[in-house]
Amino acid sequence: MNLLTIIIKNMRQRALATTLTTVSVALAVALTVAIVHIKRGMEDRFQQSTVGYEMVVGAKGSPLQLVLNTVFNLDISPGNIPWSVVEKLRTDKRVKAAVPFSVGDNYHGFRIIGTTDEFGEAFGYRLAAGRWFNFSKDALRDAFFEANERAHERIAKEHGVEPAGPAVHYHAASEAVIGATVARETGLRMGQTFIAAHGLEAAPDAEQHTDNPWTVVGILAATGTAADRGLYINLDSFYHIEGHEVRDSTKAGATQTGPRKAEEKDTDPDPGQVSAVALKLKSPVYALGLYREINDGADAMAAFPAVEVRKLFSIVGNIDLILLAQAILIGIVAGVAIAVSIYNSMSERRREIAILRALGARRGMIFAIVVLEAMSICFIGAVLGIMVGHVIVAGANTVLHRVSGFTVEPLSFQSVELLIIAGCIVLGALSGIGPAARAYRTEVAEHLAPMT
Amino acid sequence: MASVLTLRQLRKSYRESDGSLLDVIHINQLSLAQGDQVALVGQSGSGKSTLLNLIAGIQLPDAGEILVNDTDVTKLPEAKRDRFRAANIGYIFQTFNLLQGFTALENVLLGQLFAHDSNGGDRAVELLKTVGLGKRLHHKPSALSIGEQQRVAIARALVNAPPLVLADEPTGSLDTKNGEAVLELMRRVCADGKHTLLLVTHDPQMMRSFERVIPLEDLR
Repeated sequence: MNLLTIIIKNMRQRALATTLTTVSVALAVALTVAIVHIKRGMEDRFQQSTVGYEMVVGAKGSPLQLVLNTVFNLDISPGNIPWSVVEKLRTDKRVKAAVPFSVGDNYHGFRIIGTTDEFGEAFGYRLAAGRWFNFSKDALRDAFFEANERAHERIAKEHGVEPAGPAVHYHAASEAVIGATVARETGLRMGQTFIAAHGLEAAPDAEQHTDNPWTVVGILAATGTAADRGLYINLDSFYHIEGHEVRDSTKAGATQTGPRKAEEKDTDPDPGQVSAVALKLKSPVYALGLYREINDGADAMAAFPAVEVRKLFSIVGNIDLILLAQAILIGIVAGVAIAVSIYNSMSERRREIAILRALGARRGMIFAIVVLEAMSICFIGAVLGIMVGHVIVAGANTVLHRVSGFTVEPLSFQSVELLIIAGCIVLGALSGIGPAARAYRTEVAEHLAPMT
Repeated sequence: MASVLTLRQLRKSYRESDGSLLDVIHINQLSLAQGDQVALVGQSGSGKSTLLNLIAGIQLPDAGEILVNDTDVTKLPEAKRDRFRAANIGYIFQTFNLLQGFTALENVLLGQLFAHDSNGGDRAVELLKTVGLGKRLHHKPSALSIGEQQRVAIARALVNAPPLVLADEPTGSLDTKNGEAVLELMRRVCADGKHTLLLVTHDPQMMRSFERVIPLEDLR
């Protein structure tokens, strides 16, 4: 027999009120834990995803949109940049790697990204199986030229001129390395082929590029980042797809109706376009200078992914604050409910308190029993809430992963959870003070008298 | 023989709604030795329960001394008085005052908790067996008969082997047969343990079983 036994008995005697108040604390804690976990998890994953992507360069417009599209496979591409920009960056002495990306198609809602075989090494993506696709600049030039030829043929038809047929026949080696989530959710295996659908998201009426299937030659190891949800194809094969314009049709020369000569393919200074290029620099000291140079130019815009992610979370952070404030309010309401519940029970418990006092319990002990009871309710609520919070995170993780490719670890314990438990215990203590004071003042003789 | 309880010049009065003072307790001298069993009798409202509350240190007198084993309980600060009561005074109430959420054994153990007695449940179990509840240890009061509940209260009062046991109309809620049985049991257990028993009652039947019966008004 000890104080804890008395506290447990008291809580059992008021089982309904104890359960309801515990649940209200648990809900507040679960909400807080879920918000904190998901926010921190997303922030970590977003920041982790930007590692290696020191700078991205794309069409002028929104830098956040450019970063979301290039690094996180989210949002739409802000536009294209000329291949000449990529070439210039690839030969820039400050640049260690310049990896181009082109987007525009999907497979069952997963983005297909045309890039080069430098992608994995430059950004640290490892293969779980297979190999990287083959990429050559010559093949890319052929692909650009052929795509331009297709564009010329289409324009010629629009002007009533019979096209002369392509001067170059490019045969794409259509190979793909797919992300871990893509492999898991689509069931694609090594050696299997898939067909792209036009557009960045799955749509039932989307055009299918049935004439150009890709063969899976590699599967990426899971990263918990957006790369898990990408299908990476050799950039040249991307331009083999019908409808992938590679030159701005409003530019001079683009509207010429006749066939071009095959020799032009090696001399054209601006054979095509890509969606973006991601850079790794030889030294961080070059970052700001290069950033300014690119942004001062007319063709492209540079953005720092880490900076854009911080800006994004500073916006999202305000929403988090509102949600956290709501959770804290629920917690306070739960605390008040505990206080009211115990306070109201005091009328029924005064006789019991008087008996305990008659048996030798000191006033301080009675005060402590009531405060500890409120603290116990909050503690149990907090522990339950943390467990429920992690279940919510697990549920949210499934949705987040499906939508963004990011994963949040539902079972990881964050130090803030200890603070939440401590906060709840303090809340319990504060809630218990009022009823405890009432219990403290109980007149023993008055409440020991036989009830009439 | 050493005195277990001594009352000297004890006064207690209550202020009435019209502002006047109602003199409830006025005792010049009372002394009980170890093992004494005394019935203190008085009419309803004569201050019997108040007197027991004063001796137990639950209430304080306006004046006078209450010596329990030579300790003046009126001089002790409240916290020490509570601890002293737990260790030295057993209290049996008319309505038993058992905690309904606790089993018979737990109700008895409560008495030990506040006396900081570490002898645990052995004596509690032994006492419950002595009062005939060896097979009802884990029953809650609602599952016990009225007579059994009062037996639990007796065991609780004696669990710390207090030198003084106070009983406030202990058979007042029982029928005649049960009342006699409980009274006989209480007297026997107190005699066996050499506990001093001070019982207050207005029941003539109960008075007859005591050799020493003191009308409250005779103490003035």
